[in-house]
Amino acid sequence: MHSLLHRHRGWLWPTLFLAPGVILFWVVIVASSAESLRISFFQWDGLGDMSWVGVDNYIALFHDPQFYTSLKNNIIWLVLFMAAPPLGLAIALLVNQQLRGLRLVKTLFFMPLVMSQVAVGVVFTWFYDPANGLLALVFRAMNATAPALLSDPQWVTVAVVIAGLWPQVSFCMILFMAGLNNLDDSQIEAARVDGARGFRMLYHVVLPQLRQVNFIAIAITVIGALRSFDMVSVMTGGGPFGSSSVLAYQMYEESIQSYRFGYGAAIAAVLFVIMALFIAWYLYRMLRIERGTA
Amino acid sequence: MAEVCHSITRRRLVQALGSGLLLSGLGVPALAASKELTIISDLDTPQYLVFRELAETFGQQSGISVTVNNLAHEANKTAIGNYLVADPPDICFWFSGQRMRQFVKLGLFSDISTLVERENYASVLGPLLDAVTVDGRQYGLPLGGLFWGLYYRADIFAQHGLTPPETFDDFYRTCNSAKAAGLIPVSMGTREQWPAAGWFDHLDLRINGLDRHMALMRGEMAYTDTALDAVFEQWAQMIHDDLFLHNGTSYGWQQAASFLGQGKAAMMDLGNFITTALSPEAVEQLRLIRFPMYDSAIGPFEDFATNSVHIPKRAQHPELAREFLAYFYQPEVLSRFVGALSGVPPRSDMSVGDDPLARTATQLLRNTQGTSQYFDRDTPPQMAEAGLKGFQQFTVYPDREAAIRQQLERVRQRAYAS
Repeated sequence: MHSLLHRHRGWLWPTLFLAPGVILFWVVIVASSAESLRISFFQWDGLGDMSWVGVDNYIALFHDPQFYTSLKNNIIWLVLFMAAPPLGLAIALLVNQQLRGLRLVKTLFFMPLVMSQVAVGVVFTWFYDPANGLLALVFRAMNATAPALLSDPQWVTVAVVIAGLWPQVSFCMILFMAGLNNLDDSQIEAARVDGARGFRMLYHVVLPQLRQVNFIAIAITVIGALRSFDMVSVMTGGGPFGSSSVLAYQMYEESIQSYRFGYGAAIAAVLFVIMALFIAWYLYRMLRIERGTA
Repeated sequence: MAEVCHSITRRRLVQALGSGLLLSGLGVPALAASKELTIISDLDTPQYLVFRELAETFGQQSGISVTVNNLAHEANKTAIGNYLVADPPDICFWFSGQRMRQFVKLGLFSDISTLVERENYASVLGPLLDAVTVDGRQYGLPLGGLFWGLYYRADIFAQHGLTPPETFDDFYRTCNSAKAAGLIPVSMGTREQWPAAGWFDHLDLRINGLDRHMALMRGEMAYTDTALDAVFEQWAQMIHDDLFLHNGTSYGWQQAASFLGQGKAAMMDLGNFITTALSPEAVEQLRLIRFPMYDSAIGPFEDFATNSVHIPKRAQHPELAREFLAYFYQPEVLSRFVGALSGVPPRSDMSVGDDPLARTATQLLRNTQGTSQYFDRDTPPQMAEAGLKGFQQFTVYPDREAAIRQQLERVRQRAYAS
């Protein structure tokens, strides 16, 4: 028995230890995705019988004005969310100094990350309230009328993204703070001896060392922007009349509220393709960095 | 603190986890052999408190352990499809009418006709029984109804010399006086979308009458039908006259109700649950009237939405559930439940109680010639979703009427096809 185990240990132990993860991954991710893709070819109310409709759901989707609104909003999310890594870096640099009281400041910047997304959404909804919100009070102090951001189809998505950015920025800040702690002191000393200061120091000495962190921050921000759901759900419910909906929210609305699971699954498939592009890019870069050829 | 941490050793943690697993996994079937009843409710706090107490009393009398899991109203809407199929309770709360029929068609609610017959509910429910009947058999028991009408504060109306409107002409007149007095004539918050659909219902019931309204709800009439022109025309006129709360889509219904409560708005179109959003002082001044009449020859017809209680088809203890319903549906017991939210009593042998709003609603209901439920309860989910969105859009962009109605028509053709 012992020798049997011994003989097979080359593959047995890795298999045993990998099994839970691999099985979970296949059941929860791969099989569910495949099932979801299958559902997208059916008309199904989620409860009764399923009937095969081929690509009808996709055809309907590409004729649905709401789909383009959601897609456009997803792009707005992506673009605006790109502000999170540089802002996070700026704050990290700011608080990464040995000054009295900065620990408190750090904690304050860290706060939104600790709070649940739903709480952040609710707080911002109050903040934007056109009658009694903080924003309205500020505008009133300047003798102006506050815009009702959450009922304005033009601005509602931007207003929601700003709420979403708050925790995202602090998340990037944490990443960069960790990165700044791991900087090579000798390189910095050498650069200082050579007379590098301020922006030149940041750009030529610090940033290259932060490249990996930077990459992770951007990738996570992209994925965070694409899967945005909670903020939209809490702050607007996709409203007014669908103008702040994103693909993830539309998928939820169609499947759960309207009992159109096939159609919802078709939206999920499209979202999956968009995400897959980014994930492929992420993996590609990751592998290059690991091989040291980046 | 240190002491506490010390006492939680790894061994204890494992023990706790293990016993937890045992309880959740093995314990339940063992306990189920004794008498147990699970209920999922979707009640507002005041009503939930009463219901829990009633359930406890029933448990003590019958020796059954009753568990009530109360979900948020909206959460129940999304969860029910799942739990009816996967893990049904013995009793659940839902809506009568079209929304119930949908689950009956899928075979997810139990037929309780024998209970209805045994307890002779037909004699006390009258026409309300139709709301829970499919093909002559009953699948639920109607609970307190939500009567939809215009609410206003008597003291605010007196202070500004406003008169409660009876006709459309009165309505415009009252609104204009309210505006002159610096009030918002009608408070409507449409962040949750449905309040706009209630306004549509009322206009359509007043202008086209119940038969045509129900034809529209059943998908037998097009949204582009010229009969609806007048409905949208009146509504556009009201929006054009600036009668509604500004930036309505920013506010949930509770926030909109608070404008009424604070005396900043004159009227609001809502059901009796409005009281949960107002202070006791405001509720004391609150009065209810029916939506103004457009043509005295039409109606009055009203939106009267009934919630109901059902036994899922796959309930573990269907007999106990029937026993509970028989207890719960006794006039005295049901009165306490319905009274908690100023609801209109479903049974004719129940006293309305002292609540003035419930009395008014009951009186108004007696004077109606017919009722619909509510837009999102009378239409299939897809149609409801699109309708609510479309009406919300109309409140902001009345000039997009044609496009909105065409979109609704497209959804109608799809939603009723299956």
